[in-house]
Amino acid sequence: MDNINVLIIEDTKAESDALVKVLNTNNYNIIGIATSYKDALDLFYNNKIDIVVIDIFLNGNPDGITFAETINVVPDASRPFVFLTSSTDRKIFERAKLTQPFSFLMKPFNELEILYAMEMAVEKFYAQNDVFLSDEEDTVISKDYMFIKKGKSLKKVLLNDIIYIDVEEKYCNIITEKEKFVILISLTKILDLLDNVMFCRTHRNFIVNTEKIQEIVPADNLILLAGGHKATLSDTYKTIIKKIRTLK
Amino acid sequence: MNIKVLFLSLLLSFPSILLSQKQDTTDLFKRAFKHKSKKYIKESNFQKAQSFYLEKNWDSTLVYSMKQLNIPTNDFEFKNYCHYLRGYSFYRKSLYKEAQEEFSNITNKFNFYETVKKHLGKIALKNKEYEKAIKHFVEYQKNASSKLIISDKGSVEHNIGVCYLQLKKFDKAEYYFIESSKIKERSKDTLKLISSYGEIANLYYNQYKDDLAIPYFQKAYELSKKTNDFNSKRRTARNMAVVEENRKNYKLSIVYRKEFEKWKDSLNDQDKIWEVAELEKEFAVKQKQNEVNKLEAENKLKVAERNKLLYSAIGLLLLLVTGGYFYREKIKSNKIIVAQKATLDELNATKDKLFSIVSHDLRSSVNALKTSNTKLQESLETKNFTELDTQLNTNSAITNGAYNLLDNLLNWALLQTEQGYFEITSMRVFVIVEHVAYNYKPLLLDKNISFENTVTKKDFIDADQESLKIILRNLLDNAIKFSTENGSIKVYSQSTNNNFYELVIEDTGLGMSESTRLELLKETALLSKKENEDIIGTGLGMQLVKQMIQKNSGKFNIESELGKGTKMIVSLPKTAS
Repeated sequence: MDNINVLIIEDTKAESDALVKVLNTNNYNIIGIATSYKDALDLFYNNKIDIVVIDIFLNGNPDGITFAETINVVPDASRPFVFLTSSTDRKIFERAKLTQPFSFLMKPFNELEILYAMEMAVEKFYAQNDVFLSDEEDTVISKDYMFIKKGKSLKKVLLNDIIYIDVEEKYCNIITEKEKFVILISLTKILDLLDNVMFCRTHRNFIVNTEKIQEIVPADNLILLAGGHKATLSDTYKTIIKKIRTLK
Repeated sequence: MNIKVLFLSLLLSFPSILLSQKQDTTDLFKRAFKHKSKKYIKESNFQKAQSFYLEKNWDSTLVYSMKQLNIPTNDFEFKNYCHYLRGYSFYRKSLYKEAQEEFSNITNKFNFYETVKKHLGKIALKNKEYEKAIKHFVEYQKNASSKLIISDKGSVEHNIGVCYLQLKKFDKAEYYFIESSKIKERSKDTLKLISSYGEIANLYYNQYKDDLAIPYFQKAYELSKKTNDFNSKRRTARNMAVVEENRKNYKLSIVYRKEFEKWKDSLNDQDKIWEVAELEKEFAVKQKQNEVNKLEAENKLKVAERNKLLYSAIGLLLLLVTGGYFYREKIKSNKIIVAQKATLDELNATKDKLFSIVSHDLRSSVNALKTSNTKLQESLETKNFTELDTQLNTNSAITNGAYNLLDNLLNWALLQTEQGYFEITSMRVFVIVEHVAYNYKPLLLDKNISFENTVTKKDFIDADQESLKIILRNLLDNAIKFSTENGSIKVYSQSTNNNFYELVIEDTGLGMSESTRLELLKETALLSKKENEDIIGTGLGMQLVKQMIQKNSGKFNIESELGKGTKMIVSLPKTAS
């Protein structure tokens, strides 16, 4: 699991310092602190950013919103935004609202509120509402990553790193080359959200990353995976063999 | 020569005879006619024609009877009535040819057929068709013998006599004249008798039977003396003069002639008087006409004036009504304005009060900070580090209080000007309570107050996040403020209503009296009474809480017991699942 990369756009040193402190304590990876619109764009395009925390007012101008608007225009570039503001000015909010989906936070805020805002931003952006606060789930799945709530903070896992997923009732064991961990998500939801070319179901309890398959032994109902991992292939899902052959 | 004169006089006497006989008969006849034609009265045209006939309005009678005849009908009797009305009207208008035509259209079944014959006879007489006239008259006599009225009979016989006279059938004329005069003698109609005697005398005279003629002339003359009719007197006198002249009795003739002249004069005089009267009448008529014209003009003026008055009255009324309407509108708007002014004044007063309280509070806060800082400096100088910590804590408490006050003030201002961002969304109550309570952790620790948030994580409500935070912040702040050391504060939900979520903030603090409780729940109360210098604030916080709850379409209630604690209950709509 990796830390989440955060870009902070904030022109007040004292505030950005406090923010950095809070986020660092909660295992967020601060990529950089931009103090202007230009800096923000530079940092955004030169790094892999997962969440952007934006102060709406930069040097007295609502450049924060301008930044969000600029990013939104570029396809696939947009990321979850958290807007910070000390102003409750209605007009600014109406403008920020147009950069949907968005999450906002009124200054001053405490640790809980900023962490909550980050989670909300991710949920809203990937349109999987009410995940991190519920007891039933703790994972949001995007095109490339799984965002998993670990304690107070969020973590991410690159989908490509996953070898297979072992489903156990409402828990899912995620097995990557380096580690093994449990997430909370329903089977139907995970099947729905994962790319079905890359991930195939081989058994009632197994979802396998097809790219990690090394050998299929139909006689033994076995699939040999990278890293010496094994998965079961049940009769119901044997069509997978054809699929993989044609791929190879 | 003499005969001619006599003839003249005879012809002159015609109309009088024809006219005089009418008077008696027509009334009777009309009554009979009206009675007999009763059954046709429902025909409106006929009814009109008949009534005009009775009023002797001949032209209108003609018009309506024509209208009636134009309506096709098979009832010949009814047609007969119409023709009779027309015939008679034509006759009275001296249009004999048309009258004859109409009368000839009447069938012999007609109720008054004999009368028709009489009229035909009269018309024939007027047209000098004597034989035809005699025929009609005789037929009339034959048919009407039973109903014949004496005077009518006399006049008919007289007419027949006239006809025979014209035909020079003297013997027959004589018979009828004598018959007629006998009837007239009986009916004592002097004037007619005079003319009758005149006729008989003329008859004999024309046959040169002077002996027979003269007594009649004399009888006529004697009778005429008894009447006032100048015409008769004149005629008889002249006849006598002619008679005496023919008898060569010139002396007597002259006497009669003179008498004749006298009557003629008086007749002329009468004529002149008539003429003068006529002129006078004309003059009077003209004057009347003038007067009428004047009156008409006056009337026109009056009408014009009246109309003018009417229009101006209507105009005034309209003006009054619109004026009244606008006046009422004005009064209405004035009332509204006055009411608005009152509320504005009230609000302004509240605001002023608020200003003074807030500024007073801030001033004391800052002042406290100032003195605290001086102490802090002193402690630093004397290196009394144990004091330092408590003093810093006091300072932070003071700034916290001042900050909360300022925050409320800002939010209140935003609420009043409706500038704040407000969006109702669904949210977890638990999370919001946690977020707000997080800020109070140090304060709770400081006062050693236990805090418990037992709200279920699954509870969702519909509210604006920021305003809900403001509400909770103020309620928690109050709960802590009024709690004693080692107290406890609980936040939990109680469900009594299906649509509303009841969030309870309960403390074990000072509590409040019933009067304070009610005052706090009042719509616009700003608690300015400073019962307890240290802990009772501006009331701005509570005011804000109430208004925010209202804006979130929620309800607010307080349960409290003095000395035991307070329950603040916020009801907000549940998220519909």
